[in-house]
Amino acid sequence: MVNPFNLAFPEIVDRSKNIRKKVICMNYHAGAGHTGADLSEADILSALYFNVLKYDPVDMSNSDRDRFILSKGHGVGGYYCTLAEAGIIEKSHLDLYLQKNSPTPGHPVRQKTKGVEFNTGALGHGFSVAVGLALAAKMSKRKFRTFVLLGDGELQEGSNWEAAMSAAHFKLDNLIAIVDRNRLQLGDRTENIMALNPLAEKFIAFGFDVHEIDGNEPEEIVCAVTSALNVKEKPHVIIANTVKGKGVSFIEDEPKWHHKVPVGSELVHAIEELE
Amino acid sequence: MAEEIRDSFVNELREIKKTNKELVVLVSDSTSTCRIKPFLEDNPEAVINVGIAEQNLIGMAAGMALGGFTPVTANAAPFLMGRSNEQVKNDICYSETNVKLVGLNPGFAYGSLGPTHHCLDDVSTALSFGNIQVFVPSDPEETRQITRYAVNHIGPVYIRLDSYKADNIHKDGYRFVPGESVVIKEGSDLTIVVLGTMIHTALTAAAELEKQGVQAEVISLPSIRPLQPEGILQSIGKTGNVLTVEEHSLHGGIGSIVAELVLEHGLSCKFKKLGVPAGSFAPASPRSDIQEEYNLHSDGIIQEALRLLNRTKNG
Repeated sequence: MVNPFNLAFPEIVDRSKNIRKKVICMNYHAGAGHTGADLSEADILSALYFNVLKYDPVDMSNSDRDRFILSKGHGVGGYYCTLAEAGIIEKSHLDLYLQKNSPTPGHPVRQKTKGVEFNTGALGHGFSVAVGLALAAKMSKRKFRTFVLLGDGELQEGSNWEAAMSAAHFKLDNLIAIVDRNRLQLGDRTENIMALNPLAEKFIAFGFDVHEIDGNEPEEIVCAVTSALNVKEKPHVIIANTVKGKGVSFIEDEPKWHHKVPVGSELVHAIEELE
Repeated sequence: MAEEIRDSFVNELREIKKTNKELVVLVSDSTSTCRIKPFLEDNPEAVINVGIAEQNLIGMAAGMALGGFTPVTANAAPFLMGRSNEQVKNDICYSETNVKLVGLNPGFAYGSLGPTHHCLDDVSTALSFGNIQVFVPSDPEETRQITRYAVNHIGPVYIRLDSYKADNIHKDGYRFVPGESVVIKEGSDLTIVVLGTMIHTALTAAAELEKQGVQAEVISLPSIRPLQPEGILQSIGKTGNVLTVEEHSLHGGIGSIVAELVLEHGLSCKFKKLGVPAGSFAPASPRSDIQEEYNLHSDGIIQEALRLLNRTKNG
């Protein structure tokens, strides 16, 4: 199994732009959403879906596919726009975001949306599930890799550290955790609410193979995954330093944009900046 | 022959594993709690110990189910529905992962260890999660059958599994059927509806009541969800008196379920729930002493039954 796109870095950047424009339009029309998180993670998702992950967009139940779990389930807007950009879900489903009985509800639901592996939304769940998936792959001698995208604020949930301890204990070198390290959470900056630093050192102490990169640079994301997968017998974490709201100046690094959406002329201004 | 029903559970898992390679057991440092050793000796690779980390226990089980395995988790009941509540709700129930949760030593099984280890709300909590099937076996044979059913069923299951050495109380040839209540002893004066291993105490009480001229019908509820109410309703319709007995909170357990059935079906009857009322913690005492405190012993059941019937007689 291969990545169905295998795009070069400039093309991945183009896809990131498309995802961001979709996010802005979708959240504008829905009148709700987590715009900051959706934009923050766009480059990570673009790098994964257009270069790294091995999957078949037509058959997302193929048991050999790489698994991706969005543990930071509130970033579902960026996720849906990526799935639509990759042709896994219909683009028209983005118009139904948050509507009654929508195929694109406000947090990921695997029974509702093609390509969604797991139901998330409450924080601190996806990491353990990813550990279970990676262990299942090891035990059944299958080659799929498991990727989990964690929010940085989410790491304040203690359950993540239970998962981290077990990932190292079981030597899950087929598990790649990516931390969307945008340094903001609902109420304020992570370091003001409950400091996470020194974050890399925490993962090192837990026995991880740790990589720290610019998470808004797809090339760095792809290279970090490649480099990580060469390290055996340790689970991997990529601390992806990102800017929340990346790509739109008035949304970037602003705590209030955690779950605010563009209104009025903000739509045009945001799209202009993303062109 | 009497057998500890945790051993019945593990022995059945051993049998199932012979033909089911997807079966795995996840424990949280609870290998002794679930007496898994015989299974472990046969299948060392199929037992995953996540350490004292119950949230991770359930999340990992969900992930392993997504990866094609059939995980059975086995840990102390007080640390399952309580500690891993949100993982059970979201990762198992809402996500509909094929995981079987086994809560060990529920109720007052840990007696003297105190309320941190008592588990009185696992059934009501599981029932609040929409889709999970909930079973409470009461003897070795039923434990084996419920274990096999749970592993073969596709979807979330919770089994409340007591630490209890018991003889089989069901008739030879008994077949567990999800949803069905089971009449263990027939009677015409009073219906006693019982959860789990309390059935043994209730049967002792019913035998004594019989000596006093009271014919109690004793019904076991091994299947809390699904639950077909016909058997219970028929019995209450016949006797006009109902006593529910459970080592569980009186709020949301089988007493509540039977009360709802009575109201919804417009039955007229005398009604009494035996269990643990809200608003207090039980003392840290031996199990039998705590049971006595809540009238969950043979004499208590007898007293409550007679009181209920006297009320009826007195109008």
